[in-house]
Amino acid sequence: MAIVKAEKTPARAAPISESSLIGWMRMHLFSSTFNSILTVISLYIIYITVFGVWKWGVTDAVWVAGNRRECFNISINGACWAGVITWLDNIFYGRYPREDLWRVNLGGLLLFIWMAPLWLPRVKAKVFIGLTTVFLYPFLAGYLFAGGEKGIFMQVMITAAIVCLLGNTTHSIIGLFTGRSLPEFLIRLLGKNAASEKSQRNILLGILVLSFAVVYIWQMGWSVEVVPWTKWGGLFLTLVISGVGIASALPGGIILALGRRSKLPVVRVLSTAFIELFRSVPLITVLFMATTMFPLFMPEGFVLNKLVQVIIAVCLFNACYMAETVRAGLQAIPKGQFEGAHTIGLGYVGTMSLVVMPQALKHMIPNIVGSFIGLLKDTTLVSIIGLFDILGMLRSISRDTPWLGLHKEPLIFGAALFFLICFGMSKYSRHLEVKLSTGNKH
Amino acid sequence: MASMDTQETPAQLASAASSEVIIELDKVNKWYGDFHVLKDIDLVVHKGERIVVCGPSGSGKSTLIRCINHLEEHQAGSIVVDGITLDKNLKHIDHIRTEVGMVFQSFNLFPHLSILENLTLGPIWVRKMPKAEAQETAMKYLERVKIPEQADKYPGQLSGGQQQRVAIARSLCMNPKIMLFDEPTSALDPEMIKEVLDVMVELADTGMTMVVVTHEMGFAKIVADRVIFMDEGDIVEQNEPFEFFGNPQHERTKLFLSQIL
Repeated sequence: MAIVKAEKTPARAAPISESSLIGWMRMHLFSSTFNSILTVISLYIIYITVFGVWKWGVTDAVWVAGNRRECFNISINGACWAGVITWLDNIFYGRYPREDLWRVNLGGLLLFIWMAPLWLPRVKAKVFIGLTTVFLYPFLAGYLFAGGEKGIFMQVMITAAIVCLLGNTTHSIIGLFTGRSLPEFLIRLLGKNAASEKSQRNILLGILVLSFAVVYIWQMGWSVEVVPWTKWGGLFLTLVISGVGIASALPGGIILALGRRSKLPVVRVLSTAFIELFRSVPLITVLFMATTMFPLFMPEGFVLNKLVQVIIAVCLFNACYMAETVRAGLQAIPKGQFEGAHTIGLGYVGTMSLVVMPQALKHMIPNIVGSFIGLLKDTTLVSIIGLFDILGMLRSISRDTPWLGLHKEPLIFGAALFFLICFGMSKYSRHLEVKLSTGNKH
Repeated sequence: MASMDTQETPAQLASAASSEVIIELDKVNKWYGDFHVLKDIDLVVHKGERIVVCGPSGSGKSTLIRCINHLEEHQAGSIVVDGITLDKNLKHIDHIRTEVGMVFQSFNLFPHLSILENLTLGPIWVRKMPKAEAQETAMKYLERVKIPEQADKYPGQLSGGQQQRVAIARSLCMNPKIMLFDEPTSALDPEMIKEVLDVMVELADTGMTMVVVTHEMGFAKIVADRVIFMDEGDIVEQNEPFEFFGNPQHERTKLFLSQIL
């Protein structure tokens, strides 16, 4: 006999524990006497901790004072933020000449302008913008920070960077309003839409060459004074080292990871040896090697500055870690993806860059950002070998005569600063993951 | 067994095959380690011919067609596809892969690209076709597999049958001379098998050279010019479908057919 349900069962409202706050609390915080006691005790512990910190750090704290003695006179039990505030410029910029701070700020602002289009939804050619950030921006920023005479190579790279920045920015603004790319817009503007593709390309090439020439001539009459690297410091130095490290770790890691998976034995063995060597040595050892041992092996008269040595060491070290992260990501890509790419005729480069890497990197976002956060924090090790990065600066407050012995407040401030930056990166990576997911949970 | 919409008889379809040889395998051997997968395989496929390869699992039928576009490397013998010998020369391999389309059991669509991007990837990057033209071609083939409305979705949002039809369209966008199918319906829910087979039957009508590894004997009866039965790395028996199913000669063929029909 057939059993037939004649009517559809209507949907009913969810139970109160699912929808209201009181219901939720009763369910999760006060479900039994024991749980209720635990809840109350936990709330009390949270209360005294937060209240204590608040009292020390805010209500009893001293914000303005000339030295540590004055701080104590005003409030013996509160934090002495006055020392941190007085040193704020040093914490951010180190001993960078005060009248040249605009160069550092401008460098930061340019980076923001350069990368902002990556967040704008309607802008096209994001890969190009991202690549130029990695390969052109460092030349412009490097010159802004270091200054001095420009060699021919630097002049060309700076010009390219400026042209690129101008192009990217106009491209992004046009994209924001019209949804078109810069070349499309220019062609339309010139009314040559009907012209053949070749002449269109020639026109665009002409505009590019012209703007390059104009910028080149302009930048010849423009220069900034030398600021030796010994004056770089604070958060600025930390961000420079970790920024270069981050920008180079991913490309370097990809190359090493592909090398380790290569079918060619020599490439594979070399990559593996390189990765394993750097991975099995602590970063601080690598830094000491780079600054003290490396110059011994160099020919006499060969002087590399310490900062460059440190940056190279950080880059190599992190590229090796990144290589293993990327390799793990590559292994997660099913064989079928390679075969699918091969059957539509893509070769090794096409398969890797169009099919495999985009997927692998997407899976790897949490790990990659994890490495970046680790890198940022690890760069504080350079304070041990005598660079005054943010940690070095924070520590030297306690050796400054007016603030002698002021340890706690600067370090807490530094911790808060690191937390802000790292938590921001972590949040952003989560956002990227959600944005890039294409509904395929395999 | 899926029923077919087409009314054409095997004889009418068979007329598409010409005498021009497009795939030629001569004494092809392959081993996985010590395991001898393909044993002295000789096979000639003519242009426009439609071949169904069947056999028990592990018989080497998938390996056979994967050797044709060099997803697997054979260790002895020669394979000539469209006049080009498959050897160590990467240019030859790349060229053959642009001429040979392949559809997999597990679809192998690119999950990070939209359907339209999946279809235009090959034409744009391999054939160097302008983007607009590639998209136009892609839409044409999406219409042919009857899912143009899915163009902007991602593979993960489609059903298995739809994904497999996209995979077929993706191969067709490269305008191949030969299409290989490696158990295209084995991973599909029963109600989706028909929609994929219908597309394949239509493709057969256009005169495409097809080599299909499948267990869909209904498809074989309607479309195939020749059915090949493989067992333990040998081609045990091959015949035109009417004879193959009606009057199998070899003991192992009889046993196989009795198990699946």
